[in-house]
Parts: sequence; structure tokens; C-alpha cells
Amino acid sequence: MAVKRRKDTAVVARLSDEKEPSPPPVNDAQDIFRKYFEAQFEPIETSASSKRKSDALSSGDEDIDEEDEEDEDLSEVDSDWDGVSGDESDEEAEVEVVEHKDANLSASDLMDKKAYKAFMSAKPPTSADEKKKTAQVTKKDDSEDDAHEAMNLKNDLDLQRLLRESHLLESASDLAPTGKNRLKALDLRMQDLGAKESLYKQKNMPDAFRKGIKAKAVSKDEKRRREAKENGIILEKPSKVAKTDNKRRERGVGGSSIGKFSGGTLNLSKQDLEKMQSSRGRGGRGGRGGRGGRGGRGGRGGAKRGRF
Amino acid sequence: MSRNGSTWAQITATTQDGHDISTPLRFTTHHNLVYRLVLSTLTGRTVHISQIRSSSPTNPGLAPHEISFLRLLEAVTNGSEMEISYTGTILVYKPGLITGSASGIGASGGVIHHELPSNCSRGLSYFLIPLCLLAPFSKSPLKVLFTGSGVITSATPTGDMSVDSVRTAILPLYNQFGMFNNVELRILKRSNPGPNGRGGGGEVQFTFGHQIRLPKTLHLMNAGRIKRVRGVAYSVGVSGSNNARMIESARGILNPLSPDTYIFSDVSSAPLVPAPDKSNPNAKKKIGLGFGLSLVAESSTGCLFSADVASPPSGGEAPEDIGRKCAFQLLETVSKGGCVAPAAVTTMLTLMTMGSEDVGRLQVGREVIADPNTVQLARDLAKFGAPGWGIRDAAGENEDGDVIVSVVGRGIGNIGRKVA
Repeated sequence: MAVKRRKDTAVVARLSDEKEPSPPPVNDAQDIFRKYFEAQFEPIETSASSKRKSDALSSGDEDIDEEDEEDEDLSEVDSDWDGVSGDESDEEAEVEVVEHKDANLSASDLMDKKAYKAFMSAKPPTSADEKKKTAQVTKKDDSEDDAHEAMNLKNDLDLQRLLRESHLLESASDLAPTGKNRLKALDLRMQDLGAKESLYKQKNMPDAFRKGIKAKAVSKDEKRRREAKENGIILEKPSKVAKTDNKRRERGVGGSSIGKFSGGTLNLSKQDLEKMQSSRGRGGRGGRGGRGGRGGRGGRGGAKRGRF
Repeated sequence: MSRNGSTWAQITATTQDGHDISTPLRFTTHHNLVYRLVLSTLTGRTVHISQIRSSSPTNPGLAPHEISFLRLLEAVTNGSEMEISYTGTILVYKPGLITGSASGIGASGGVIHHELPSNCSRGLSYFLIPLCLLAPFSKSPLKVLFTGSGVITSATPTGDMSVDSVRTAILPLYNQFGMFNNVELRILKRSNPGPNGRGGGGEVQFTFGHQIRLPKTLHLMNAGRIKRVRGVAYSVGVSGSNNARMIESARGILNPLSPDTYIFSDVSSAPLVPAPDKSNPNAKKKIGLGFGLSLVAESSTGCLFSADVASPPSGGEAPEDIGRKCAFQLLETVSKGGCVAPAAVTTMLTLMTMGSEDVGRLQVGREVIADPNTVQLARDLAKFGAPGWGIRDAAGENEDGDVIVSVVGRGIGNIGRKVA
């Protein structure tokens, strides 16, 4: 079968060969002899053939009968040649069959028990298990040599420091902070080492600012909790905020309950005056009215809730 | 297919229904019945389904597995009412609250025991996948134990995937919506389909303990590349060498394409189901012999593609053929492109629709979105009043011609949670 196909391909090759080179003419006695020789025996080596080619290029027109004759002869020669080179073309033409089958499926390919348990448990599998395994392997490698360990420890420290202070670096160009960022980084490290408060914490500021900052913090936390609740995530319980705002500030003994005592005089602001007057003005009536009003509002609120 | 013959424009058209909630939505035929019931339960709309196999002279009306699913719905919800006409061709379903397996009606000791009849021809995934859609929105954790002489855990000739694929390819999807705690699918007994593809003796416990108010909005637009392939080869009541042969041929195809390919083998004995006869009322018989393969490919971005092939109930197919078929099926599923396999697209899009009122985006292969089931889902969702999907071509180097589906959440979520 293979032999047959080889013949086929050889023929095809000859036909294709015939197209391009014009058949070499014969005007040399030597060539005729050579032809005769080649017909009897093996073809002569390349130098002659190259010469023949050059001859073919030089000669423009020739006898048709001769050409036919020569063509026959040559074709035979060519076919011989193709027989030699035909092996190459044969290999090219043959369809290569690739079977997708792994020959080396060895026992080591089989997964270990751990992976089996991880995948075949009742839980839906996650890709986290294998990551953990690789992490453990790297750790083991670390512990093997101490020099590496020390180096890694140092790098770790640097990395941790970097991570902790990375938010400062957003604007900075390089990793070693300078200027304002350096001061901030230093402050962070101080706090890490046990400083009670930041060096740069502002003690005094306008009340509105402080209220604003507090309100922002509260709203942020509230938003976080709300989103967590919507997504069904359970968060830590909110820390109880000491309600100091509503309590009366404790005054010194013997101090006045109203106004501000400074420079030996009791200064009453407009609000203080108003408060005194209003409380005196309303007296019993105002108090009752206020309570009644509040009660009424509460009642209405309750009704609303009931309707919902 | 004539029902699905209309154009894309109809899918994208929004049908904001302005009519009364109390009037039932009307559907016909048994197609997509299960998902219609699920959507009805989630949205709280009454449905009226008529012409259920009305033209069939031999088996008109609801099939055994459909009845069984209705029973399951009744056990999982509280206050649902269903009316089935005398011939079973008309069903009216008025949904109640999804209570999960709170002790009381269907559950005993926090577990609902659901028994499937012996003439059930569908795989267990027919019940599991819709149940998974209800579970996140139930009031309390859901635990269901599927027993009885109709539980088929393997893939079936009716086109259901195996329970292994549900666990490895469907349940991990809920992770992307923020549900991952206490989700379990435990296969206590395996079973292939019995004679004539009916019945089986499997036992499966399903737990879904992560109830949420609203699923997270999902943006999944990078399919990534296949990172690894895992699989389970199971043989029930037959030699374990079948597993080795399936694994060998499947790996022969898949290993050169993805070196990280591992298929685990699970061999179990055949389940016994009671088969009383006159002489021996306690007689039992073996059922559900066979073998099968479930493969799951995971991409670098966590997208999952699954394939399932099991031996036919009539037998006569070599394990090598099953393994090869399954590997080719997996390759075909992956070649469809997008971030979602056809088997998971219903789950993904329904959860996205139930999500918060925000636009979620999902890249889907063109063939997957053109699937009749997907188109039917789009129509049903529109009928239930969900806003239409926006569909556009995916950006970037999109050689597969994937499309991006934008889904606006309805923000219905968990009614039980809203009240509590």
C-alpha cells in the first residue's frame, strides 16, 4: 500500500516539475553521449546537470521532434531523480495522525487523599484548598535554611510596614516617605509602639467641625452595617456609645447653674436670659402643656404604627 | 419551536405590567413549568397554567415528576394553594411564603423528607436546581432529604445533569451572589436510572443555610481561560474498572489541552428498593445499575462549565465511549463561550433578576442566549413583570461573538426577611 502511494506521489511530482523548466535542448555531441549513458546506467552527477540547465537557458528554439524524444528520456531520468527525492515529498504528503492520548499517565498523577476529600465532600468545591497547600510548601522551604529565614523576616517587616503606611504613599513618588508623609509615618509607628494618641491630634477645634467629623463617622458605620445586613453578613455588635451629651456637665461646687463666671463677674448670654424668662414665664402651665403636647404626638405616632 | 420564532426585539422590550396583582398570570403547556412555578413563588403572583399535555391521548395532564415538584413546593412554602383540574391539564397555583424547613408542616426535626415516586423519569437535578433558586429567599435554612424509589442521582437520558454536577458546577455560582455559608449537597446513596429510565434508589441530602435579603449585583464579563478540569466518575452496582476506563479515555482527550485534569472515582453498590410479591412481602430488588461521568472545567476567573454523560438504561455502551463523549461535550460547552454554561444560565439570570435594583451585567455566548430555554425564560420573566434585558455585543477582542446581557434587579428578594 505504502509503495503504491509512493509511486503516485512520484508521478504527481514529475508533472509539477514539468511545468516550470523548459526541456533542455541538445546541440552537443557530448550531451547525446551522456544521454545514452544515462539511459543505460545511472545519471551523471550534478555538475553536468547544472551545465545542462545553463544550456537550456542559453538556447531559445529547437526541434520539436528532438524535444519530444528528449522529453521522454528526460522524464525517465526525472522520474529516477524523483524516486530519490520522492521519499521527501512522500513524507510531506502523508497525513500525520495524532492521537490525543497520554502515554504517561502514571500512578503519581493520581490525586492524593486530601484533594479527594476536598473535592468529594458534601460542600461545593472551592479553589482555595489548593492554594493553601502551595502556601504550606513554600513555608517548609523557608524553614530549611536560617539565613533565608532572617532575610525573609526582615522583608516581612518591611512589607508589613509598607502595607500599613501604603495609604500615605498614594501621592508620594518613592517608597521612603519624605516631608509630611515621613512625619505621618513616624506618627503611625509611634502609635504602634504604644503612644496613646497621635502627635497631630487636634485638641481644640470649632464645635461644628467636631460634630461634623463625628456625624460622618457615624453615618459611615451605619452605611456599612446596613449593607452588611442587606447581604446577610453578620457584623460585630456596635460598641455602646457613652451618652455624655445629654448629661448635665458637672460644675464646681457653689458655682452658679447658669451663665459663665469669668473675671469675677457672672456673664449671662442672651440665650441664658431667654431660658430664664421662658421657664419662669411658662412655669406650671408651660410644663404641662409641653408634656401634653408630647403625649399627643406620641399617640399619633402610635396610631400610625398601628396602621402600618 | 414556533413559539420561539420571533425576533430579539421582543426579548428586550420591557413589559411593565400595570394590572392587578391578584389576577393570575396565564400560561399554557408544560414547557418551563418548573421555572414558572419558581418565579411565581418568588414574585408572589398567582399563575394559571392550562393545556398541560392536553393533546396527548395516553398521558394527559401533569406528569409524575411535575406533581412531585408541586408537593415539594408545598412542603417548602407556607400557605400555597394549588388546584389541579380533573384531567390534570389545568393548574392554578397561588404561592405562599417560602418558609424553608421550619418544623411544622412538611418538616420533622428541621428536615423535609421528600419522597419521589418510582415512576419518576427525571434526574434529581430537575428538582434541585429550582429548589436552589428558592432556598436563598426562604425564611429559615432549608434542609431537604430526597428519598424514595424515584431518586436518580446520575445524568439521565431526559437531559438532566447529575447531582455531582449540581454540586460542583451550580452551587459554586451562588458564591458569586454572596451565598456560601452552610451550603451542602450530600449524596448518601447513588443511583442511575432504573429499567426504561424510570425510578432509582438514591438518597440525597440538600442543605442551604445562607439566607439573604438580596443577592449581590453581579458583573461577570471576563470568561478567562480554562484553568483546570475536575470530574467525578461514578459506577453504581457495576465494576469499578468502568470508572478507570472512563477516566482513561476522558483524560486522554483533555490532558493535552489542560494539564491540570483530575477525575475522581466513586464506586458504590446498587441501591435496594422494596419490591413486594405474594410469597415475600419484604422482598427487595436492585435498581439503578450503571455508570457515568461528570466533568467540570473552571476558568481563571471562576466561570464553570460542566458536562454529563451516563450509561443509557438499556446498556450496551462501552465506558470508553462514555468518557470520550463526556470530554467532547465539555469541550463543546466551553467552545460556546461566555461566562456561563447553558445549564447554568437560568440560575444566573434569575438570581440577577431577583437582585437589588441595580444593573448587573453578564457575558454570555451567542449560542447560549439563543437557546430556546433562555428565550423562554426571558419571556416568562417579562410576563412576571421583570424589566427586559439589554443585549449588546461584548467589547474588546470578542472573537466568539459573545453578548453582554444587562439585567436590572427587581429588588424583591426575600419577603420573609423583609417582614422579620
